Amino acid sequence: MRTAYTISAIGHAAVLLWSVWSLAAKPLPVSSNEGLPVDLVTASDFSNITAGSKAAPKTDTAKPLVEKVAEAKPVEDPTAKVVEKKEVQAAREPPPAPETKPAEAAPDKKQAEKPPDPIAEALAKDEAKKQEPKKAEAKPPIPPKKPAPPAPKFDPKQVAALLDKREATRLAAAGETLNNAPSLGVSNGAAAQLSLSELDALRARLAQLWTVPAGAKDPQELVVLIRIKLKRDGTLAAPPMVLTSGKTPLFIAARDSAVRALFRGQPYDMLKPEHYEQWKDVEITFDPRDMIRG
Amino acid sequence: MLGGAASAFASLSPQPAAAVLKLNVTEGNVQPVPIAIPDFVGVGLDPATGRNVSQIIASNLRRSGLFAPIDQAAYIEKIVTIDTLPRFPDWRQINAQALVTGRITQSDARLKAEFRLWDVFAGQQLRGEQYNTTADNWRRIAHIISDAIYERITGDKGYFDTRIVFVDESGPKERRIKRLALMDQDGANVRYLTRGDDLVLTPRFSSAADTITYMSYREGDPKVYLMNIETGQREIVSNFPGMTFSPRFSPDGQRVIFSLQRGGSSNLFVMDLRSKATMRLTDTQVIDTAPSYSPDGTRISFESDRGGKQQIYVMAATGGEAQRISFGEGAYSTPVWSPRGDYIAFTKQTEGKFAIGIMRADGSGERILTEGYHNEGPTWAPNGRVIMFFRDPGGNAGPMLYTVDVTGRNEQILKTPSYASDPAWSPLLQ
Repeated sequence: MRTAYTISAIGHAAVLLWSVWSLAAKPLPVSSNEGLPVDLVTASDFSNITAGSKAAPKTDTAKPLVEKVAEAKPVEDPTAKVVEKKEVQAAREPPPAPETKPAEAAPDKKQAEKPPDPIAEALAKDEAKKQEPKKAEAKPPIPPKKPAPPAPKFDPKQVAALLDKREATRLAAAGETLNNAPSLGVSNGAAAQLSLSELDALRARLAQLWTVPAGAKDPQELVVLIRIKLKRDGTLAAPPMVLTSGKTPLFIAARDSAVRALFRGQPYDMLKPEHYEQWKDVEITFDPRDMIRG
Repeated sequence: MLGGAASAFASLSPQPAAAVLKLNVTEGNVQPVPIAIPDFVGVGLDPATGRNVSQIIASNLRRSGLFAPIDQAAYIEKIVTIDTLPRFPDWRQINAQALVTGRITQSDARLKAEFRLWDVFAGQQLRGEQYNTTADNWRRIAHIISDAIYERITGDKGYFDTRIVFVDESGPKERRIKRLALMDQDGANVRYLTRGDDLVLTPRFSSAADTITYMSYREGDPKVYLMNIETGQREIVSNFPGMTFSPRFSPDGQRVIFSLQRGGSSNLFVMDLRSKATMRLTDTQVIDTAPSYSPDGTRISFESDRGGKQQIYVMAATGGEAQRISFGEGAYSTPVWSPRGDYIAFTKQTEGKFAIGIMRADGSGERILTEGYHNEGPTWAPNGRVIMFFRDPGGNAGPMLYTVDVTGRNEQILKTPSYASDPAWSPLLQ
């Protein structure tokens, strides 16, 4: 019995020792993931990216693009009038036109009132108000403090005159100092760009006219690449050039259907003449594979 | 919507100056193509023939659901010859995308048919052919021309020059007379192949379209027969003890596969037509029936209730292990492999509803094409694009034949002299 116990003890000890060696925890390798900077851009912003130069020196605080010196803003003493302003604010609230900007005590209200109502601003101009930069991305340094008027004076004539003036400033971003430094943009961006809506309209018209050969067995051979040259009036300058080649009856049918759609779609009047240089030469891929899956 | 905008951006890619604008069009429509088919010019014959040919072509194309023939009353130009260019602006004005002009010339008992298919908007000819045949074959010429037009525009081979063999049912419901009948796929030229003394079921074509195999209760137990359509001669496939059901030809026409029922079970057998050698394919205690070959002849699909309920199985054509491919709710039966090889059509029964559906050969992509009471017995057109089946509404009415496109659209009824069931579609006639 003794021997049995000893052998058993040795055996157990051996197994335990071995497991301690071989089953030691290994450190979990962590692969370093590079963080990907992501910025959400709306469609209209993308179209309107102004031309920028990548070599432009970055300023640490993005200076608002200012092309016209605005009227000087009076330096406000925030603390001085806080108290009485607050009372006045309370009495005035809620005004349809936010002619009085609340004190810093309510910063979120400030944000909500941008863009400033022009009429309200014009009214407030009586009391020598300043204009804020028009561009949304520009951050106004300090919203101007307006002394609370006893009652808003709505003078239509004054408004008209003031509105006209404001019209002019809208075309140029106004600010305190001239700042013509370009901001980071896309090297070939041009705000007067072929807009998304024009391309969408072109795509929608072709989708309406293009009959897809449905029920096909091998969708790959249905992809057709065609190049067209357009005249200024939106009609084809020459018959469409088919760039993909194929011999199967299915490909020929798909190719003819795409070419027919291009002929029928004339004139492509949704493309604006001022963008002619950008749409005079178009390469279109007709790809029905999404439509005939399954 | 955001995804759409995002994908639109992916294709915008504005380029530096003098580059090409790139655009992706990934959506289109599946509307029927408007086509103009003026009467064919007739030379030296009954003027009605030219019009009849155009009308057959127009109704073929219309029934396919992929073409929309334009009413002749709207045509501006009158076609008197096919040797000159049509006035394309006239046809563009009525929105015809394709135009068919043709001429039939008759001399003695021979017929010459010529046609040209035009792309109206591109202003060019797409296809032109000429056929010579006997004068009484003018319907087949119309079908052949329809096939040529269909293939050029859709890319798929046509299916109009084909025949349907079916079981014609007439008489009162309790004592229906069932006869084998043959007709063109548009319902013309109906011909009866049997007299109605015996009960006939499930006729099927061979690959040569001149022989059919069918089941008949002629001498007691149901037996499988072969019949030559031209001569009317028939022979029994084999005199097995037991009942033989649902025969089908192999794609090369050399073998007939069928199920043989003995005792309570039914198993699959295949017989070589020349040597008469028979091979057993399944050996189970359950019902294995309704076999169908894949178009390359290497596999068969069949219906079996070995798993409890009727399901569809796929097996090598020489026998062996069978894989189940149907897994939905309900009982699956009558599997038929498409001539294109991509789908298997079936009947599916769920709680009193009968549906005709298709699935891929591995069982994925199951799609129901039509549902109702009581649909059954799908058969494929030779281009794998259209399915014909029969529907028995129950009550006092009898079954009728219907066709539906493989996309589930365009269900149409087929006009037959009387009630009809068990259709089988021939291959393209030679």
